[in-house]
Amino acid sequence: MQRRDFFKKLGVVAAVSAVSPVMSFAGDKPKSKNAMSYETAINAITGGKTPKKSAKVKLKVPEIAENGAVVPVTVNVESPMTSSDYVKAIHILASKNFNARCIDVHLTPANGKAMFSTRIKLGGTQEVSALIELSNGDFLIATQSVKVTIGGCG
Amino acid sequence: MAQKRKSLIKIKPKKFKDGEVVKVSFMVMHPMDTGTRKDKKTKQLIPAKFINNVKFNYNGQEITNMTVWEALSTNPVFTTYMKINGKGKLTVTYTDNTGEVNEKSKKIKPKG
Repeated sequence: MQRRDFFKKLGVVAAVSAVSPVMSFAGDKPKSKNAMSYETAINAITGGKTPKKSAKVKLKVPEIAENGAVVPVTVNVESPMTSSDYVKAIHILASKNFNARCIDVHLTPANGKAMFSTRIKLGGTQEVSALIELSNGDFLIATQSVKVTIGGCG
Repeated sequence: MAQKRKSLIKIKPKKFKDGEVVKVSFMVMHPMDTGTRKDKKTKQLIPAKFINNVKFNYNGQEITNMTVWEALSTNPVFTTYMKINGKGKLTVTYTDNTGEVNEKSKKIKPKG
């Protein structure tokens, strides 16, 4: 092998080795057993029904989250919360997390007020939605997009 | 496999009457590992460890039942409302995906 060829090959090897670890890392990114996409999660909860957009549901999420590891979410639903008409469940979903489901909260009339708040992790810029199940079988939804500067999943 | 964890139940406002609707928050110190993150030193995956289920019980009646996934932040907070219905005890039971079960309770004394 000539000196000139050797340097050419060395360059190729260096380039390949520089790129390949990044590629392999992206390829075998571990996935959780609970991984579920946004559409299948909504279908699994509603059972094929299409949720209606409603002004009764108030979803409070910051538009820009500096840290994706801690994003405060508050869901407020207007409801009398009597035994005949109450909010059965509040589901919080994040559209691009590997597991779209964050939390399912099953409420009862003993709560007195349909409100839930917590803090969630977001992997990147995406949409957060609150899916509400009413006692009469209807589904309501409220969605808001959140800009995440630093992702919080890994 | 129960492990002692720091947890706290907060009721707002502190003084309440019978029949009032109050804000209840439950906080717990928990890592909430998703199972996809790597340890920076050993380069090994940190196994998943997150809270699965949280139950609010008041005087033997189940008020709220939550199914929880990985996406909650570390040291999670759960806040809801609750209707005061006489003297009693609020018990929060939380279960881990590794089978860890813990409990925290608070006495409830309405005034007037």
